[in-house]
Amino acid sequence: MPQGETPAHLIIAGLKRAGIDLVASLPDQWLGDLIEQCDADPAITHVKLAREDDGVGICAGAFLGGRKAALICQNAGVLLAINALGGMAFHHQIPFLVIAAQRGAFDDGYYYQMYKGRLTEPVLKAAGLPHYVIDGPEHLHLVEQGARQAFLSRLPLTLLLRRNALVAKREG
Amino acid sequence: MMDRITCAGLIKQKLTPKDIVVCGLGSVEAAYKQVGPVGPTYFASDPMGLWASVALGLALARPDRRVVFLAGDGDLLMNLQVLATIAAVAPANLRIVLFQNGSYASSGGQILGGAETLSFATIARGAGFKTVIEARTEDETRKALDQLFDGKSLGFVAVHVARDKSPSEAPGPLAQAEQRALFMQSLDA
Repeated sequence: MPQGETPAHLIIAGLKRAGIDLVASLPDQWLGDLIEQCDADPAITHVKLAREDDGVGICAGAFLGGRKAALICQNAGVLLAINALGGMAFHHQIPFLVIAAQRGAFDDGYYYQMYKGRLTEPVLKAAGLPHYVIDGPEHLHLVEQGARQAFLSRLPLTLLLRRNALVAKREG
Repeated sequence: MMDRITCAGLIKQKLTPKDIVVCGLGSVEAAYKQVGPVGPTYFASDPMGLWASVALGLALARPDRRVVFLAGDGDLLMNLQVLATIAAVAPANLRIVLFQNGSYASSGGQILGGAETLSFATIARGAGFKTVIEARTEDETRKALDQLFDGKSLGFVAVHVARDKSPSEAPGPLAQAEQRALFMQSLDA
């Protein structure tokens, strides 16, 4: 990762290169920096959600109107929104990018997070929805590439980002 | 009490061919189809509860066009928090008209939990909508729609309509993905 470029910078740059300028989000601790920067960026329309499946609807509506969008949430939000993703976005062939914090694996520290790490990938797979796991900031080029794949395949594509890919390491 | 077809007809009188309609599923869809869509219309499918946010996304993508969401009350009740999200964004080009009959008309007419006491208008006001109107008669509905469509900002009208059954129709020749492509094409026509 080039000096001075945090994961949030890299992700936002990737979104912009893919033509995404509308973001709907629901917070997670690991997503704080990214959501804050989306909110502060005058080139991005940021919608604050109360439930993740509303983000699926907003991203879908944006695509219908010719605008590219992304949903930013925790992987629990992907699980909550799976009916909207698999029932609406898949069925109507509506693409957008989902950027989700992949909570509940080796890099997490809470009992109650673990089910999310266990369930999210098999649920996405069962729904027939493409996804990639991003281990660290060196793989954040997948934001732009994943978005392009989503729009070419007319499907929502989910990137599951581990802690390293979202939270900048402290200096020293 | 006014029936839903009459309500759809009153809405139709206020629409222009430039308006984009997102039409909820079930009895609302049947009513709007019966009076005949005016301009580009996106018809909902399952899952319920999702289409207010689709209308919001469309409104944000097309600020040059008015977006009208025709909602059923069983549908909207599934995802009430979306009203807070919409009110916070407050797109000036979005209008919501709710067909409130207190029942799930297309699944057999089952009554909504709390149907007799539920006030969607109160919920919309509490969510932050500044323009909220409730109508119970044809005359009130006419006036409410005038205010909604003549206004220049986000608004919500809840129209009380009579309960009736509205059985699901047989599927048409086009699946949703095909209708989606045609809808997108029609926006640029």
